[in-house]
Amino acid sequence: MTELLRNEGLKRVRMRLITAVVFVFTLTCSGSFGMEDVVSSSGPGMTLLMILILPFLWSVPMAFVASELGSMVPEAGGLYRWIRRAMGEYWSFQAGWWWTLSLYVDSAVYVALALDYLQAKYNFDGTWRAIIGVCIVAVFTFINIRGLELTGWSLTVIQVGVMVPLIIFTVWGIAKGQGSPFSPILPAGEGVFSSLNLGLAIMLWMYAGWESISTLAGEIHEPQKVIPKALMIGTPLVIITYFFTVFAAIRVANVGDPNGWQNMWTGGGGYDFVQLSQMLSGGVLAYLMLISAVLSNIGLYAGYLATGARPMFQMSRDRLLPRFFGTTNKRWGTPWIAILTMAVVNAVLINFKFDALITIDVFLLMFAYILIFISVIVLRVKEPDAPRSFRVPMPTWLLGIWVAIPIAIAVLALFIDGLDWMIGGLIAVLTGPIAYLIFKSIYKGVTDEELEGSTVTPDGSLTSFGADVEGASA
Amino acid sequence: MKGRRMANYSAVSGLVAGAFAVGGGLWAHAQQPSFGYAKWFGIYSKYLSGVHMLIGIGVLMLIAGLLSFKWPSIGASAVCVLAMIGLIYTYNRGMYHWSPLVYYWWGPWLFAWIAGIFAGMSMYRRVPQMGAQEGGAVERT
Repeated sequence: MTELLRNEGLKRVRMRLITAVVFVFTLTCSGSFGMEDVVSSSGPGMTLLMILILPFLWSVPMAFVASELGSMVPEAGGLYRWIRRAMGEYWSFQAGWWWTLSLYVDSAVYVALALDYLQAKYNFDGTWRAIIGVCIVAVFTFINIRGLELTGWSLTVIQVGVMVPLIIFTVWGIAKGQGSPFSPILPAGEGVFSSLNLGLAIMLWMYAGWESISTLAGEIHEPQKVIPKALMIGTPLVIITYFFTVFAAIRVANVGDPNGWQNMWTGGGGYDFVQLSQMLSGGVLAYLMLISAVLSNIGLYAGYLATGARPMFQMSRDRLLPRFFGTTNKRWGTPWIAILTMAVVNAVLINFKFDALITIDVFLLMFAYILIFISVIVLRVKEPDAPRSFRVPMPTWLLGIWVAIPIAIAVLALFIDGLDWMIGGLIAVLTGPIAYLIFKSIYKGVTDEELEGSTVTPDGSLTSFGADVEGASA
Repeated sequence: MKGRRMANYSAVSGLVAGAFAVGGGLWAHAQQPSFGYAKWFGIYSKYLSGVHMLIGIGVLMLIAGLLSFKWPSIGASAVCVLAMIGLIYTYNRGMYHWSPLVYYWWGPWLFAWIAGIFAGMSMYRRVPQMGAQEGGAVERT
């Protein structure tokens, strides 16, 4: 039986640069909701400094590395494929497994957060919450199965809805707010490291996601050109968005009370962006900001549903997961079973309290990120002359030093958020080797030559695909 | 051949994980005989104390480690699952009892993970990918 080839059945779309930028912006930012907690825990000055400094230590390296690897290995599955090429089947499976597991939980969180905003405003009961949640999941599942063109359009509309209220708030807030947003730098009585504790964890989270768009490479025409450009444009855009919106929020919080920033937190009772809009101008802007917050989370859901399903699809094509995950929709050319599976899990999860599961989320992502950073160095050494339309403009040794910083941050992040978080993560990490041992023993895996449709192996003998093509037995 | 060597490394790692758990349990017992909260999922028993869990799971890990010499996939999977059970046991039982218990599970977790890695590497070498030539997996590099 002939195996499906790597990208067989996938439809490539001509994604415009602006759409790709919207994808990047959605996956890495989608508004500044959540930054409120950083301000009250780390102090206003430290928050703004982190917004400006952290990208150069954390997200800019990832954006550059993702651009180089994406331009070198522009294939569906993105990070999973990069690590496979650099470090082989075992570690790529681990990264793909951890990343997918993390996003299964992560994407459900966004729907739950959108529902939290709506429930706080309209006070509906649990049944309606479940119905609305499933409807959101169903709509964006259909959009995702329908293809990247429609997903791109829907994300563009969503981000307009997210950003218009935020821009109005920012301009108005900077003009009408009070005080220096950089003062004080730290909360009273806190040292630099103690103030970083929760704040850094949230900031790492807010600045994550640069690798995600790479998983769509198999469905984008000339991904090696489009994705790096989108990442280079998206990076400053995200920094600017975070900086000015938080700058304005602190000024608004400090109106009438120079310590008003201490009341900035999400989850009810504090000054979140919706409450700050209410304080700034009354009902209309607050209502628009509520819509913006809901759309922000829905946009994140739509984006991560798209990207989160692809590694599973590719792992299936590599014969490391059940074959049905590798099925594509004949009409729309998308990995619909992988998308649908993720959506079903999300629809179930949003109806439960799953705080404990969230704890594994960042932990698993950090492990996957460490493997990505190692991969870029390994590929520079193993394949120095392989074509890369984008190359990080520094020699390998300097790139090694540069990526050592985010690796160190990722390792630090494993320890800064408490034992609850760590135990959940440690348990989840162990699922990786177990899953590999099970699926590898069942499905065996497949060579790249076989999967890419080569009829002969490097030593000149016939592959089983070649044998099928020629009507002979391998 | 390399696959066999990796399988042996996996088995040794599993044994070390078990030794850490048993050793940790004995050490904890020497310090505080009834160390750890003796209840799990609503079941109360003195045999479910932190000491008993460490020693009990540690012994099972030692057995799984020995199995890994013959069947690395089964043995290493069992070692990893046992480490997961041990960590789940420590979860959410209040900081007073819980934090010190987590420290005892660091060694078993780490070596269980290493056992899983070596078992995976071993399997990668022993189970040829589809389309690979005899004598092991082939990957484009």
